[in-house]
Parts: sequence; structure tokens; C-alpha cells
Amino acid sequence: MAEIVMKNVSKHYGKKEEKAAVEDVSLTIGEGEFVVLLGPSGCGKTTILRMLAGLEDPTAGEIWFGDRLMNDQPPDARSVGMVFQNYALYPHMTVYDNLAFGLKARGVPKATIKRRVHEMAELLGVGSVISHRPKELSGGQRQRVALGRALVRDPAVFLMDEPLSNLDANLREQMRLELARIHSHVKVTTVYVTHDQNEALTLADRVVVMDGGRIRQVGTPGDVYAKPADTFVAGFVGSPGMNLWTLEWEEAGEGISLGNGALQLPRSFLPVLEAAGRNVTVGIRPEHLGMSLVKADVKVACNAEFFENLGSHTQLHARLASTQAESPDSDSPRLVARLDPAASIDSGERVILTAPAGAVSLFDAGTGVCMEDENAGYIDSASRYSPLVDSTLRDRPLT
Amino acid sequence: MTVTATTTSPTRGTDYTSNTPVKRRRSVLPLQFRRLQDRLVAYGLMLPATAVFVLFFYIPAAYLLYISFFHWSVLSSATKFVGLANFRILIHQPLFLHSLLTSAYYTVVMIPATVLLSLGIALLLKEAVSSRRRGAGIWRGAVFLPHVTPVVATSIIWVWIFNPHFGLANFVLTHMGLPALGWLESVHWALPAVIIDSLWHSLGLYVIIFLAGLSMVPRELLEVARLDGAKRYQIFRRVIWPLISPTTFFVVLLSTINSWQAFSQIYAMTGGPHGGAGGPAFATTTDALLVYQTAFVYEHFSLAAAMSLVLFGIIMTLTLVQKWISDRVVFYR
Repeated sequence: MAEIVMKNVSKHYGKKEEKAAVEDVSLTIGEGEFVVLLGPSGCGKTTILRMLAGLEDPTAGEIWFGDRLMNDQPPDARSVGMVFQNYALYPHMTVYDNLAFGLKARGVPKATIKRRVHEMAELLGVGSVISHRPKELSGGQRQRVALGRALVRDPAVFLMDEPLSNLDANLREQMRLELARIHSHVKVTTVYVTHDQNEALTLADRVVVMDGGRIRQVGTPGDVYAKPADTFVAGFVGSPGMNLWTLEWEEAGEGISLGNGALQLPRSFLPVLEAAGRNVTVGIRPEHLGMSLVKADVKVACNAEFFENLGSHTQLHARLASTQAESPDSDSPRLVARLDPAASIDSGERVILTAPAGAVSLFDAGTGVCMEDENAGYIDSASRYSPLVDSTLRDRPLT
Repeated sequence: MTVTATTTSPTRGTDYTSNTPVKRRRSVLPLQFRRLQDRLVAYGLMLPATAVFVLFFYIPAAYLLYISFFHWSVLSSATKFVGLANFRILIHQPLFLHSLLTSAYYTVVMIPATVLLSLGIALLLKEAVSSRRRGAGIWRGAVFLPHVTPVVATSIIWVWIFNPHFGLANFVLTHMGLPALGWLESVHWALPAVIIDSLWHSLGLYVIIFLAGLSMVPRELLEVARLDGAKRYQIFRRVIWPLISPTTFFVVLLSTINSWQAFSQIYAMTGGPHGGAGGPAFATTTDALLVYQTAFVYEHFSLAAAMSLVLFGIIMTLTLVQKWISDRVVFYR
């Protein structure tokens, strides 16, 4: 195991190094920690992984494994195990030979190789296919062999580049659990790259959200989800992402009205809003919006457009509706709410959704950066879904 | 339109399996006519290539087989069936047996030299390309260039290079402190000289074939081998070599066939203005050259046909043996 420290690491490509894949990334990964690099395609997460493996040289910055500077070390001197997206198993070798290759290359005695390969095969449940070639294995078995090949050498650092992306949905979920089990067993420092937020949130000790070669947020899965650092993280993490509306606010009676009455917040938000200026970006996750009889802190008026029935819940797609608008405005901001499947709303109907104050995130309208807000915080799971349909709230003007 | 979020309960007796197929627009032509039309188009596309093969390959090959059992002359209409007499003559003909040995010598040297040199150059070029060295593309073109030049023209240049009195080859040897050689005038060195020319001329093709094979080796496998701690020679021996074995097999096969059929360079390098290719003292008389000389110099067409069939049998046998070995050694993904 080793601590990984990246100091101001950049990677540029092109003849004049004009294309930045990674820009000024600094990150510390603790011993035995499971860190997931999460981001859209082309955000630089795989490049970071390849630089950690020694397959790419950083243009600038330093990479440390413990107290050893790794910048000029070749891949074989780094004690790194890596799992590639397409497994990269040697197709002409049996499972045994695939697992044993690294040990043989390092001159480990035959008896030790045999023992460790069989132990690893048993740990990963591929003992019965140890004499098979990769093409005779299922996707899940190939994945396990790739994991085993990287782990059998007892690497100090374990790198995984979207290892589950080639598996079907059921197998992916199964392998996700398997990965968590293996990590708890071997406790090796792990860096895992994915664009799948489910993998990131379920596997990681910490998630590193990246975009455009830069780190946007580092935090626990709970932090990244509940307290996004900026509008990119808010929109990217979560499926669907957080609703984000940039609106003008004004004080209205006992509360605060935004977007000409489309959104109503309690007065406790006033200090933050005053610091933000006249415009602010408001974020609420779809599952925090509901139709509740319970007295709500936050109210959102919208015009329903259409629904997606996803079995366990229904996704309402709507547009914000100001009190001044006579009819639905096709240019007003979009909204997605995750409602109970029993909810029955007509398309075009005006609906008032509610949310607890803790569900609201406020971002600077110019920079998109999250603003410190004492209202913001975790929402208890019980308030995420509001199965009650409050017909009395329909068409009631916001006051 | 009203859209409800709840799923409507199906009424009793609903057929859940009913599935109305989507109707596709069909051609107005009857099915049989369309099939006939497709066949005609297919045969029409095959016709030019088939005609060339039949006219210039299968008919001459069949005729060759026919005349090998006859006493036949291109200048005479009188043909006489002689059975296996032509083959019996060959068995008792020392020059024919000598030509087979010469061809075997040529092939045995050419195949490993071709594989080792072309693979070595291909690996160097691949390394140059992957490390983005300047001029890698130019080198690749330069290696392939000899193969696209006419073999007769380049062979004449090589005759000058191997001139024992003022050729470049002896100039280099003497400057290296080595004795000058007789090259094409020497019984021992004439065939090696021809082999050097043949290698120089054919190497470009095999380098390109190996480059194609090397490009099929996934980059991830090489990277994972590096991460596994394998050294360069281990990566080559344990990863690259097995994965390019189909390419190697193809190169060996092609090189074997080309070696047994080698003619132009031998004829151009050893013939000279006075004729008598295959010298000195038949040192470069390969089977293919002897076939030509028997047919067109000595005008024993039936005997040449029998020789050709023996040559065909040898190449066929070698190919089948190689195939048998490859099925056990070569790894196909």
C-alpha cells in the first residue's frame, strides 16, 4: 500500500503541447483508500490514471508514491496493478498463465507462483476455469481474471480504468459488489476511473469529480451528492441531475419570491441571497421535489409537460410557471421531479411542488460556485418521496 | 392530450402476446425474378476475374498436365503418348536433381533471412512510428521502394555491385580488411549473391506485412506486460511473437513459394549477354530456371512440363506441411 500525492500535475498533448488533457491537478490519496475519478468523456480522468501507471509522462508537476518521486520511474518500477476497460488479457495464454505472467517476469519461484495463482483464482471464483483461454470465458470471468492478474503481484497501488463498462447491467451490479468485497479484503490503495456515477457513489471512499482536465470537487459520495461545489457537479452527479434555475429574487411578504413567483423560499435564505446579488442559481434535486400536504418551506410552481413511468417512480418533466404568466411559457426553465407512480397529473396542468429548505443549494449566477448557506444540508431519505398527491395545492397561487 | 402517470390496468382477456408486425414495402417484382436477377448480378461481377483465371491459369495448367505425358513440340503437330517416360528421364537426370538441391539451398537460406530481417526492420519502424520519431514515414517508404522497382533492372545494378574487379561489394570488403570475393563468377558465391539481391528486392513487401501484423497487437497488451514487469525481450517472446504468429506463418508460406519459383533475378544476374543463365557451372541453376531452359532453350516442352509438375508437387507438399505445423503452433484470435 502507498499514499499517492499528485502536486500540480498537468498533461499537454500536441506538437507545441497546446492541448491540455489534465491541468494543474493536485490530489492526495491515502493508504488503502478507494478513490473514484468521475467525469464525462474527455475530462482527463484516464490520463491521470495512465500517468500514475507510468504509461504517460506528466508535462508538469510531481507524482509521489509514499516518499518516492515517480515521475521518471518506468511502469514496472512502480508496483502498480492496472485493470483496463477491455480487460487486456493475453488471448493466447490460459487463465493460469495470465495470472502468473507478472510473477514469472519478476522471477518469482515456481512453487510460489503456483500457490499465489491458485489462491487468487479461488478468491475471485475462477478456479474452475484456470486452464481455459480468455475467449472461452464469460465477460464476468474475464473481468475477474483481469482483477486477479493485477492483484496477484501484491501491488502498492491498484488502478482501474472503467473496468465494468463492458458488462451488462446485472453483471455490473454484481461485479460492483465483488469489487467492494475484494477491496475490503486486500485494502490496497485504489484509483478507479468511471463516468458511471452509481459506481462512483457506491464504491468510493472519496469521489473526485473532473471536467475539462481539472478537478471540480473532491469529497465523500455523500458530500458530492448533497453539497455540490458548483453547478457542473450538481448537474453531473445524480440521475437526472439537479434542477438548476438562474432566477431574479425579491422579498415578498414573509418569504422570498424568485422568478416572478415561480419559486418561493423562506426568509432564512435572505443573507445568502443578498450576498449573491439580484440573480442567483437555485438547485433542487428531482427526488426532493414532491407534492406534500405537510407544510413546506419551499414551493415551486410549474406547468406539467410529460411523464416517464419508470416503475418504482414517475418522472415529471415540467417548466417553471411564474404567477404573472397567463399561460404556460415554453421558454421558462425546465424542471424534473421524481414522484410517486400513483401521482396522476394531466399534461399542461399547473402544479405546485414542495421541498424542504435543506434541499435547496444556491450557486453564484456568474461563476456557478456553491454559496455557503446555513439552510443547505443532507435531506433525510423519508422526505425524498412524497407519495401524497395534494390536489388542494393545485392551481393555488403562490402567496 | 391527457397523460396520466398511473399505468392503466389491462382489461380481462387482454392478449399480451399480440404483436402486429410492421409491414415493409416490398419490391413489385416477383420473388423468383428477383432471385434470378441477384444471381445474374453476382455471376456478372465474378465473370472478369473468373475468365482471367480460366484462360491464363487453369487451361494452361491443365494443358501442362496433358503434355507431361506426351512427347510434344510447339513446332510440330506430331504428339506421342509416352506415359511416365518424362518423369523417368527426370529421375535419372543429374542436372535436375542438382537444380532441386540448388532451389532447396536458396529456399532454406531465404526463409529465415526473410523472416528475421523483415521482422527486425518492422519492429524498428514500429518503434520509430510509436515514439513519433521524425522521418519514420520516409523510412517506411524507403524500405518498400525496392519491391516496386523492376526486378530485372535492380538485378543489373546488383551485377555491377558484385563485379569482382570494380564492384562496390568487394570495395567494402577490402576496406574492412576482408578478402575480395568472386561473387557471380564464383561457384560458391554466385548463389549467395543472388540471395542478397532477392532479399534486398523482396524485403520491403514482408516488412509491410509484418508492420500490419504488429499493428494488430493491442496496445493495452504491451502496456499491461510492461506493468507486469516484463522486459523488452520478454514482451517480444511471450506477447508479440505469439500474437503475430499468423503473420509469420503467412510470410513463411509466401517466401517459400516465391523462393521455389525464383527466376527473374537469377536469369538477369547470371545470364549476361552470352546467355547461359544458371552459371557458373550450374551453381545458380534452380528448378524454375531449368524448366525455362528445358522448354525454351532446348525445346523439350514435355520434359519441362514434367519438371513443373514436380516443382508444383514440392511446393504443394511444403505448403501442406507448413499448414499442418501452423495448426499446432500458430495462434489465431
